[in-house]
Amino acid sequence: MATVHKVRGLWTALRYRGREGMWTWLLHRATGLGILLFLIVHVIDTALVIYWPGLYDHALDLYRSAFFRVAELLIFFSVLFHALNGLRIIVQDFWPAVMLHQRKLGLAAIGAAVVLILPVAWLMLAPLFGLRDEPGTARYRARMQASQPSISDYRGAAPAQQTAPVVSEGAR
Amino acid sequence: MSDLVRNGRGGYNRPGKDQRSNFELYAWFFMRISGLALIFMTLYHLTWWNLIVGVEHLSADVVRERWTNPFWRLFNVALVSFAMLHGLNGLRYSIEDYVRRPGLRIATKAVLYTVVLLALAWGIFALLTFNPAVPGHTA
Repeated sequence: MATVHKVRGLWTALRYRGREGMWTWLLHRATGLGILLFLIVHVIDTALVIYWPGLYDHALDLYRSAFFRVAELLIFFSVLFHALNGLRIIVQDFWPAVMLHQRKLGLAAIGAAVVLILPVAWLMLAPLFGLRDEPGTARYRARMQASQPSISDYRGAAPAQQTAPVVSEGAR
Repeated sequence: MSDLVRNGRGGYNRPGKDQRSNFELYAWFFMRISGLALIFMTLYHLTWWNLIVGVEHLSADVVRERWTNPFWRLFNVALVSFAMLHGLNGLRYSIEDYVRRPGLRIATKAVLYTVVLLALAWGIFALLTFNPAVPGHTA
């Protein structure tokens, strides 16, 4: 006889007092599924650059909206937490003695992810409020400068004057 | 996997011959290996594109310039393959946990595996066939 599973609601699941282990497990699964969903969209649109670069640039315009900036930050946090908690799981699997501290380590994974997302949140959200340049602005300017140098940056000898060849009316 | 049958004594019957395989062991091992690689590759990828280049200064031209270097194309093939397959197996764990009716479970897997594997194939196709000399159509 196959195993019978009772269907239980979300409320029952959330009332279950599994403490730290339950919450890290739940967060690991939720962040994992969220990252996968984003990854599918991200791969489909990035691959457009090979044949339809204009369409890719249009997709980027959407990602620059305030809504997607917050969503990107959420993805960043998801990756950070999933990475740190995943590292904890790997260490526990290959070094079982560490299992004695798994509760503290789970909390440490959440804490480290929260601490690390703070500077990232500042870099990604501050430009929305005019508090800071967009990330990469200095690098972008330097690259533009290198590809299209301005005459005012020229420090060498003055360039030779271009003189138009004098062509007399009769020689034409 | 999912076809364990209770024996009435609080345990499970030994699986039938056709159900004994090491697949779950390999899946477990793959999750650890790919997970470890993904920690470094993904955090590098996010830091580079979101914090150093910046989405505001990103464009198809910037991506195409990066992709002229075959190293970065191969890096991206490895990144997308590890990430999609790691995600696919995580998705399988979730489906097997929540979708319990056998027919519905097979249907859910068929649809979602197809979506994930098509996205992976499309990403690898783009990276491997990319030619910087072909400017592409501007749509």
